[in-house]
Amino acid sequence: MGEEKDLLSSLLLELRRGMLTISVLSQMKEPKYGYALVQRLEEKGVAIDPNTLYPLLRRLESQGLLKSKWETGGAKPRKYYQRTEYGTEIYEQLKIYWKDLSAGIDRLLREGEV
Amino acid sequence: MKPNDKELMERYIYQVIRRLPKAQKDEVRMELEELISDMYTDKGSMEEVLTQLGDPADFAKQYQNGQSCLIGPEYFETYLWFIKVVLICTAVSILAVSFIHAFSQASVFAPQNGATVLIRGIGEGLTDGISNMLISCISAFGAVTLIFAIMERRKIKVEMKKAEKWSVEKLEDQKKTADLRWTPGFLEPVPDKKAIISRGDSIVGIVFIVIFSVLLIFAPGFFSAIFNEQTVPVFNLDQWDRILPVFVFSLMAGLVDEILRLVTGCYCKLVMISNMICGAIQIVSSVVVLKILPIWNPDFTDEIQTLLGDRAESAGKFFSLWNWELVSNGLLVLIVLITLSEIGVTVYKTVCYGVPAKDR
Repeated sequence: MGEEKDLLSSLLLELRRGMLTISVLSQMKEPKYGYALVQRLEEKGVAIDPNTLYPLLRRLESQGLLKSKWETGGAKPRKYYQRTEYGTEIYEQLKIYWKDLSAGIDRLLREGEV
Repeated sequence: MKPNDKELMERYIYQVIRRLPKAQKDEVRMELEELISDMYTDKGSMEEVLTQLGDPADFAKQYQNGQSCLIGPEYFETYLWFIKVVLICTAVSILAVSFIHAFSQASVFAPQNGATVLIRGIGEGLTDGISNMLISCISAFGAVTLIFAIMERRKIKVEMKKAEKWSVEKLEDQKKTADLRWTPGFLEPVPDKKAIISRGDSIVGIVFIVIFSVLLIFAPGFFSAIFNEQTVPVFNLDQWDRILPVFVFSLMAGLVDEILRLVTGCYCKLVMISNMICGAIQIVSSVVVLKILPIWNPDFTDEIQTLLGDRAESAGKFFSLWNWELVSNGLLVLIVLITLSEIGVTVYKTVCYGVPAKDR
């Protein structure tokens, strides 16, 4: 039973990995700080654990898809992330690919149900 | 935030960042302070916040970006067979050298008694051999692993560079990258069955060369004639410093050739050329060793006659005919014949099977 659970969770992890990247990129046109992004994604039904999101943001930054800036003006320092030009370009391509893919998978799954 | 909660937060952050590389620590600390205090404002309980964030070790792992193996799948197979070859070579040659040393020492301690020499030699050879072998094998294992680990790290860097280049070029010019892409034209023809060089043969060749080299370097006295439990070296050990480098050079040429065969795996132009060069080197160095350098022990016959003592007279006739010149010439002819026939086989197999049919 435990093995089955492990397998399921590792499969889910694989499934979510790429999806989270595109979800995060979609929200980064305007600058946002980490926790606001967590809440925003949760509202829209794509929940992401903060302990996954923060490392992901750093990774996307190191890949040049996001840029970050510390705002020290407020009550506490906040790190704001925003899509770079390159990030936008990649995001647009990912979006096209995702739409095709999800439509295809939809068809496949519906076929199984009938 | 209550001081108690702040303390908890700091403990949590410390547990995450202590697992991260130095360069990331400060930045991640600030990020986590921001995140945890945001979540705390949202949820109102530090316990709940930290429970949701989960084990700090797992959190830190997410930051480490999956680089958690010493030798990745790409190098692993090569690493496995490479380490097998290295370990076999090391173990066998160290064991052989240990036995030879043990025997030569045993015969010094108890020169009169053959059985004692034998038992002592085997006993000490085994104990010394096994302990030396273990130590050398562990060192060899460490060295090979280190080399592959470095290659793995380097590869990651090289690949990252490539990825960067690729993306930049892609932005500038789509066509350029298309030229670099893999096409079916890159596929090499499947080698003829008869052109395949067996891995086992190459490995046996490599092991043999390494053992022979180790013996020549560390125990040249091994090549001796034994009379009355005394040994008379065949080689001129006084001049060994001059002779050994030529020997080793020739053996190394052979080693390079064998490794190339092992890596290539089939007869092709490269293997043929390497085999010809290696053969030429071996013939030239054989001429140098056998005809120019004083390789043989000049006192060989005298020493044996002294050892034989009473029986020397009957053997005297045989030794009066003993002629190193003849031995050298005989060996030289043998070596040239063997080398030429090996090159012949390689050329034949390369020409007949190693070249794809359409190129023939």
